[in-house]
Amino acid sequence: MKLTPDSKVVIQGYCEPLMVTHAARMKAYGTNVIATISPGQSGQTLDEIPVFDLVEQAVAEFGVIDTTIILVPPYQALDAALEAIAAGIRQIVIIPAGVPPLDMVHLLRKAEATETLVVGPNSPGIIVPGKILLGTHASEFYTPGSVGIVSRSSTLTYEIASELTKAGLGQSIGVSIGSDAITGSSFLQWLQILDEDENTQAIVLVGEPGGNSEEAAARYIAETIDKPVIAYIAGRNAPPGKHWGHTGTLAAVVGRGVNVGTTQSKLTAFKEAKVPVADRPSQIPGLMKKALK
Amino acid sequence: MDVLEYQAKEWFREMGIPVLPSQRIDRPGDIKRLKIPYPVVLKSQVRVGGRGRAGGVRFVTNTIDAIAAAQTIFHLSILGELPEVLLAEAKYDADQEFYLAVVLDGAAHRPLLLGSPQGGIDVESAPELLQQVVVDQEFSPFYARRLTIKMGLQGPLIQTVSGIIEKMYQLFVQKDLDLVEINPLGVSSTGELMALDGKVTVNDRAIARHPDVAAMAEKIVQREKGRKYSLELGTWDEVEPSGNIAVLGNGAGLVMATMDLLTDAGSQPASCLNIGHGRSWNSTTPSFSDRLQQGLEFLSEQKNIQVVLVNILGTVPTPTELAPVIVSFVQRRERMGTGKSRNQTYSPRVIVRFAGADFDSAKEQLAAVQVPLVESLDQAIAQASRLAKSSGRRR
Repeated sequence: MKLTPDSKVVIQGYCEPLMVTHAARMKAYGTNVIATISPGQSGQTLDEIPVFDLVEQAVAEFGVIDTTIILVPPYQALDAALEAIAAGIRQIVIIPAGVPPLDMVHLLRKAEATETLVVGPNSPGIIVPGKILLGTHASEFYTPGSVGIVSRSSTLTYEIASELTKAGLGQSIGVSIGSDAITGSSFLQWLQILDEDENTQAIVLVGEPGGNSEEAAARYIAETIDKPVIAYIAGRNAPPGKHWGHTGTLAAVVGRGVNVGTTQSKLTAFKEAKVPVADRPSQIPGLMKKALK
Repeated sequence: MDVLEYQAKEWFREMGIPVLPSQRIDRPGDIKRLKIPYPVVLKSQVRVGGRGRAGGVRFVTNTIDAIAAAQTIFHLSILGELPEVLLAEAKYDADQEFYLAVVLDGAAHRPLLLGSPQGGIDVESAPELLQQVVVDQEFSPFYARRLTIKMGLQGPLIQTVSGIIEKMYQLFVQKDLDLVEINPLGVSSTGELMALDGKVTVNDRAIARHPDVAAMAEKIVQREKGRKYSLELGTWDEVEPSGNIAVLGNGAGLVMATMDLLTDAGSQPASCLNIGHGRSWNSTTPSFSDRLQQGLEFLSEQKNIQVVLVNILGTVPTPTELAPVIVSFVQRRERMGTGKSRNQTYSPRVIVRFAGADFDSAKEQLAAVQVPLVESLDQAIAQASRLAKSSGRRR
């Protein structure tokens, strides 16, 4: 994990308002955006950032690149990520929603073989408040501190960061892994990263219906995490079987019981792991202060 | 998206998976032009399970019986679904029946091969017989052979059955499937294999890159009754038709959290609309502001909704840019309402929750049309549910 302000970042996308906006926001936040990759548009500069046709051309110019932010349409995300891996990039953030899951399966086989960290798809990426923004987080809701947030939902991450900020609890990191059926990095990976991170004193885990990652996270917390963890699960009152725009909720979880994936099963898992669960985002700061005592 | 059995079997045929001679029946009269010799099986083509038990599968031995059976099946609604077409298929005597499937597994993050030596309707009664193999790396036929061995197959069946699994996997990847299932795979006394029934689910996100599947999806949308919400604009989920409050938000997590809080406050959300994030890939897809405007219009057309809680957080268009969209929506509804009866153009009350830097300027804009803007989620919930309770029900 390289998440310091001096680490080199590129953005793969198109020189359209979307990329221009996010490139400017990342740069303004202190992220070292050294190049953007936009096939056929090389030679231009975007907000003083040079544009290249290929990732490898940026590598030839600047040396090893730490992270790429992928901002291409969903059907092109796999190709962009494979190009980044081929050019030696080992941290990839995939922003777009709607990436087909089999593309992610293909990418994960490559990423695991090359020890590449993939965040997303359908994710705002990673923010280290006050230091670096790798993605599209609404940075205004964050403030530097020692609470790490790991989530499956971008907007809920902002909601909870904002509640913590209002209560005087800053954040060490905010990451949303996305809520797709097949995501790059998992809760377990991030819990491990946050457990080892010396700037993180406590963790908020934000889950939702679908898949079994919260259940697995609850067991992992009980077994290995010593830092305080507070959980919040959205969708307690969501009728089952609805997709809520997250196809992750429809992913098959084969042979693991009929209840896996429901909010109830996740709440039960956290209860068994003795992890306090907030009923609403505004309860999190109080529970956190109690846990930190 | 689930495809129908006859469509799945066309794909099987293209892949070289053995299927019986069959014919699509669009109307009972088509039976007279049947090219398959009797006895024949007539099957209702619906997307729901349990059609056999419901009477949607019938054996017939002559034309007169076949026409009568076809008429019956065409009028038989199975779990609320009427068939558009039937499939007429030759009858097959299987000695054994296997279960085979390829499915995308959310826990392993990989495709899984599934197989059971006990297929057909018995597959669920013997879960302990269901074997699985995770396709961890790039697929190769040995994964399929591994499954057949786990299933306890021996001799020539190892190669023939794994050949079918291989083709299923190819189809799975080619068409971006969530699931391809053959149940049962009939095995004759001579060891011949036949895919007797199949289920195929295409991943919704991949539909747009497969023109043939996109055309099928288009047909389904046209058939569905009532207004379908365009996927380009977001996802709409009905929660409780008797409710009177709707949530419009950006992102499923926030929408679900908002719905939970409304329910906790004693209100009944009728539906939730997630208009997604501010990311629009090109000028042909609707912008975030367009999605907000059309979402509000869509919710206003629903007679049961009296309050709309808009909860939007941290998107690319700022609150200052989004406020005018809501202002012009309210003004347009007011203009429509003049000179008409209230019933024809009833407009729901809108409560907005934005947060962040632009809050004050957005608040000022919305105040001009009497739309309250609240920064705290808890307060927005309290106001919206108070308003929903005092509104009662429309008609």
